[in-house]
Formats: sequence, C-alpha cells, structure tokens
Amino acid sequence: MAATSLFQHYNGHSSVWDEMFANASDIRQHYQNVANFLLTIPGDELNKKEELAKRLFMSQGITFTVYSSGEGIEKIFPFDIIPRIITASEWDFIERGIKQRLRALNLFLRDVYHEQFILKDGVVPFNLVYSCPHYLREMQGVNVPYDIYVHIAGIDLIRDHDGTFYVLEDNLRTPSGVSYMIENREITKRIFPDLIPQNHVRSVTHYPNILYKNLMALSPRKIASPNIVLLTPGIYNSAYFEHTTLARLMGVELVEGRDLVVENHHVYMKTTAGLQQVDVIYRRVDDAFLDPLVFDPNSVLGVSGILSAYRKGNVAIVNSIGNGVADDKAIYVYVPDMIRYYLNEEPILKNVPTYQLGKADEQEYVLKNIDKMVVKKTNESGGYGMLMGHAASEQEIEAYKKEIMKEPRHFIAQPTISLSSAPCYIDGKVQPRRVDLRPFALCSPNGIEIVPGGLTRVALREGSLVVNSSQGGGSKDTWVLSI
Amino acid sequence: MLSRVADSLYWMSRYIERTDSTLRTLTINHLSAQDNPKEFTWGPLLRIFSNMEEQDIIAIERNGRQVLQYMVLSRDNPNSVSNLVIQARENARAVQDNITKELWQCLNEFYHVVRDQRLKQALQYDDPATVLDTLIRQCMLYYGTTDITMFRGEGLCFMNLGKYLERAIQSADILDIKFSDLSYDLDKTTDTTYWKHLLKSVSGYALYLKRYRSGFEARNVVDQVLFNNDFPRSILYSINQLHRSFNGLKNDQNTEGYSKVDFLIGKLRSKLQYSNVDSVSRIGLHHYLTEITTDIYAIGNTLNQHYFAYS
Repeated sequence: MAATSLFQHYNGHSSVWDEMFANASDIRQHYQNVANFLLTIPGDELNKKEELAKRLFMSQGITFTVYSSGEGIEKIFPFDIIPRIITASEWDFIERGIKQRLRALNLFLRDVYHEQFILKDGVVPFNLVYSCPHYLREMQGVNVPYDIYVHIAGIDLIRDHDGTFYVLEDNLRTPSGVSYMIENREITKRIFPDLIPQNHVRSVTHYPNILYKNLMALSPRKIASPNIVLLTPGIYNSAYFEHTTLARLMGVELVEGRDLVVENHHVYMKTTAGLQQVDVIYRRVDDAFLDPLVFDPNSVLGVSGILSAYRKGNVAIVNSIGNGVADDKAIYVYVPDMIRYYLNEEPILKNVPTYQLGKADEQEYVLKNIDKMVVKKTNESGGYGMLMGHAASEQEIEAYKKEIMKEPRHFIAQPTISLSSAPCYIDGKVQPRRVDLRPFALCSPNGIEIVPGGLTRVALREGSLVVNSSQGGGSKDTWVLSI
Repeated sequence: MLSRVADSLYWMSRYIERTDSTLRTLTINHLSAQDNPKEFTWGPLLRIFSNMEEQDIIAIERNGRQVLQYMVLSRDNPNSVSNLVIQARENARAVQDNITKELWQCLNEFYHVVRDQRLKQALQYDDPATVLDTLIRQCMLYYGTTDITMFRGEGLCFMNLGKYLERAIQSADILDIKFSDLSYDLDKTTDTTYWKHLLKSVSGYALYLKRYRSGFEARNVVDQVLFNNDFPRSILYSINQLHRSFNGLKNDQNTEGYSKVDFLIGKLRSKLQYSNVDSVSRIGLHHYLTEITTDIYAIGNTLNQHYFAYS
C-alpha cells in the first residue's frame, strides 16, 4: 500500500520534538489533513511537483548568482514542498512573546543611546556595551523618529525536545528572508492548488502593504507622497532578489548608493528630471558601509553624508543605525533582564541558556564541557565561526580554544539544543529534518504587527543542526492556521 | 525615474534589438549559403557583427557551423547572441521593479534558453534555421510582452529610444557592408539573389515586391532601407519613432537636456526627409551613411550626458 510506504522511512529521533508525529504512529491533529492529502497522491506525482517548484523558482528568477571562473551560475535556495504547520494557539504564544521582546529591545536601544539607565542600574554591564563592535558612539544622543530603532525584526525561534519555543537569536539590523516567506507561499499555491483554503491557512501576502504604510508614517516631510526608497548593495548581493521583490511589491524605488547624493544635509536621488529629495530609506546595506565619511571610508555601497542628514532628522532610515548593540550574542543573555527592567513583566519566550566566555567562572565551565556545547562568535552571523562541540574533532576543539583565549568577550556558548524536526520530501521519501522559525515583526508608531507566518529554515543534511542557507540549509512554506 | 534605471532600460532594449537583428541576419545568411554554396562567404557578416581579426575571419568564413557557434554562443565574442542576451538580462535584473513581472520572466527565460547546454548540441547537429527560429521567437515574445504589459510612461520611452536608435544603426551598418562589396556603385547590377538576401535580412522583401515593381535595382534597395517610412526597419522610420518616443520625455525639469537632444533628432530627421537616392549617390553612399551614423551616435552621447549621468 502506497500509504504506508510514504511515511515508513520516517524515523524520528525519540529525543527530538517532531512537528508532525507525536510518536511513531500518531500524527498530530493539525498535520492530519496534509498527511491524508499526501497519502492520496501517487508517488511519482510528488516528484513532478518538486520539479515544478524548481522550474517556477528558476523561471521567475527567484535565484542568487554564484560567480565562478568569471561566469555567473544561477542557483535556487532549496525548497521543500511539504509545508510546516503552526497551530493558532502556538502562534498566539509566539506573537505575544515576540511583541514583548521587541518592546523591550526598542527601549533598550533608546536607553543605551541616551541616558543609559540600564547600565547605571547595573542590569547590563557597561563594558559589554562599550566593547561591542556594533555599538556606535556616532548614534549617542541622536533622537530617532518616534523612538523606534527596530522597524523590522526577524526573531529566530527553535523548539527543544519537549516542544518549548526558545529564542535563538534576535536579528535587528537588516534581517533577510521575508521574500521567501512570500514566494514560498506563492509556489505552494501552484503545486498544491486548493490545499491552502482547505486548511484555513492565514495569509502572508499583506506584509509589503504593512511595511509600506509604516515607512510612509516615518516621512519627515509631511506631504502627500513622500519619496520612499529601498537601498540595496546591488545586483551582486545574494539577497538582491529580495530587495527587488520588496521594492516591486511596495512600488518604491530600488536605489543603489551611487543613485543618492547628500547636499546641505538632505538626501537626493539622481533622476532623469534632476535631483529629487528622498524622505525614507529602507536600507539593506550594513551600518559599516552606510556612510564612508563616518564609517568604513572604502565603502562604495553607501552615501557620503547620509548620517548627518539622518541626525538632523531630514531623512528616516530603517532600521536605525547602531542596532547591532542589541542583537549582539553577548547582549542576548540580558534580554530577559531587559524585559523585567523596562516592562516589569516576566519574559514569555525563553532564551536558550547561554554562557559568556568573558566571565571567568562560566568560561571554566564551558571549556570543561565543550563537547556538549555550541560555541559562537558574538559578532558573526550566517552560521560562520561556530564550533559544534559534539561533532568537532580533538584538533578542531584545541584550535578553537586558542581562538577563544585571544578575545573571550567575543564568544558565547550554549548547550547543544536539539532543534525540532519536520517532515521533508527528500529522494522520494518523507524524512525528518531539523527546522527553525523566523517570523518577521514590523514596528510602527501605532504598535507592532507580525504577519502570521515566517521563514522556516531546514537543515537538509541528515542529522545536521545548521539551518543557515550558506551552510546547506533550505526553506519551507510556513502555515499558521486560523482555527 | 532614476537615471541609472533609465540607462538600464535603454540598454536592455538596445541589446535585445541587436540580438534580434543578429539572429535574422544569421538566418538569411545561412539560407543564402544553401542557395549559393560556391560564392557565398560569411565574411561580410563577421565584419559587421564581430571584432574578429581579418585572418581569423578568412579562416572560418566558409564554415557555417563554426560561424554559428561563434556568433551565437562564443563567450569571447561580445556580440554573440548569448552575450547580448546575458547583458540584456543583467540590465533587466537591475530594474526588475521598473518593468512588469511578465517582461522580467520573459527575459529570464530567454537567458535560460541561451545558457542551456542543449543549444550548443542543436546548433551543431540540427537544422540551423529551426534553431535560430526558436531564438527569434524569444525576441518576438519580448516585443509582444513589452507591448501588451509595459506601462506607458517614462520607462517605455527610454526602452523605445534604445530600440529605434539601435535599429537605425543596424540598418545603416548592413547597408554599408553590403554595398562595400560593390564599391558603393549604385548603378552596378549584380544577380538578384544578392538583393533578395539583403532585403530579407532586414525583413523587407515582401514590402519591396509590392512597392518597387521594376525588379531588383540597387537604387530601390537603398531607397527602401533609408527612406521608406512604411518600412519598420528603414532609417527614416526608426528616427521618426525615436522622435516620437523622445517627445514623451518632455517635462518642466530637464529642459536643457531635452532641447539639446530634440535639436539633434530634429536635425537628423530633416536630413533624411530632404535627401533622396540621387542626392545620396552624388555625395556617395558610404559618405552619407557615415554622416548618418555619426549623427545617431551624437544623439546617444547627448542622451547619456543629460539623462543617464549618475555616477
């Protein structure tokens, strides 16, 4: 019988939370519909659907270009056809948790760049902030519109063996991946027609509308149609597809640094009809490259003088500058304390237990138990510069320890958390693979909105815990059910 | 519209126009090679469309398959069809938010077609006319998609400027090279297949038969390609369309640039309108064509200076 064969290779690990199977034979309620549907499809049809998905990504240019030997090769981010499903009550919890966390993080940034009450009260140590490479003294005392620093956040969540959600990481600078939340859904509509309405899946397509509305609200000039632009590093950036998608869906101009010029503390774009003033910049260029006069003088991606225009309030920049001090992996440890300090609430979402190598006692503990730890650099992202203690060789560990001792402040360690697994269609079989979840939250003067969905990243290699796309990860469509 | 975007739209369009022109010329040359295997050579074509050294041209000018590989797929030939399509698509990629999704997908699919390994195989072993035809169809798809989906506005104006400017240059070049074989002597008669192929390579054969009833004469061919306003590849038609598209860019902001370019286009239009085959033959065809192309390049440069300068 086809039914048994599709799932018969599904060997979930007993110590891992599986999104679909409560135990070997018991499919969770919210996956029941999709599981039944998959069982009715003849095996070969699933392969065809996988092919169709690939072809759609390719022909729509949802690709990134890898340049090797002078010639570009188009690649698609691997996409798994089986959606990841989140129940209404799980989502309600996640949504409340992220909103709370983001309120505290915005207050923290406002505080750190102004009065620094939290440092003076000894809740977060001074030296941790000042030694953070992403703390920018250029932003000290700068008032930003509506005191919002983080307009767009991507909060990475994982689930431990009992299904509890943990925050793995906050992304408060220029989080990417939201175009895949949108496009993955469009692809699912094509490969599984009717399945989405049948399952009461909440829509994610209004994300660009909300973002556009929020950007409009930030315009310093109170005029009917302010000029809003999306600043991209250019077509060679691996997230370029995302930049053009968002610009297209919002109907805003996609600009590069060389399209902009600053004169008398105002930002202008160079158009065929001369210079036009720019009011709001949604930038996808990192802080360091934003203004060669202030930060990296070699940057050709930024705009000279843009920071002065920002400080004078003549242009709004989204996200604000210097946010890295709040999503630094060493500061992360203090986010639950921030929530208690600023909001007088208990954190809804938990942090993963984290040890700071800069602290002598915690360092000693980590080095002793390094085989059970994941050690990370505080200023790296994308899965680079990590040590997975359980999988590393003796030599790798020794070499890494030397690295740590050079600059212990720049390392943190977390016990190996077993990410939850979700069903994936790989090599003609449904197999469990580890996943995380990145919902995207939008902050505006009127509050925080989170589009019901997000990016589910998958570690496609068997047994792997690394979901980053730069390390062989893929993605899934993410369904939030309305009932 | 951003200057950079205008620039990219203009070049995207120029590259596709050049692709289309190259493909049609390749098809016709291939067909005439079948008609006339003894006398036919690919030399004139290679001289217009590539920057090959003379000795390399002589080495391959009688090897159709090799010329096709070079003209369609070669990475070293900046004017090969695949390089032109890659350029067009790179430009489109940088302005995806300013063209319709349909147009972007159309160019993206064209790109995947020229990058497909099967194309190389097909050019080597299948019927070249069929293979070239499938590529020409991609260009037609581009024109149709542009016409039906692209919003009427500044962007489309810049695309049309690129299209007609490039087309005028292509037509002038084809005429120039073909007549260089005859030392630009308009009264020299040769066999009619020669003129047939020239007209076919600019898709002007059917119109010629209807319009000029006195058989194949060099003067009539020149008249059609230069001055026939019903012929969509004539230079006069292209410049008239250029003028029309450029009018769409009139606004209150860039009056200086507008009047400069408008002046140059107007001057060139008058020159074409008040010339005829007799006056051309008095000053010499080559001389006349050189003047025309110099004027066209001047229009391109002035556009560049006043509309595209951004870096």
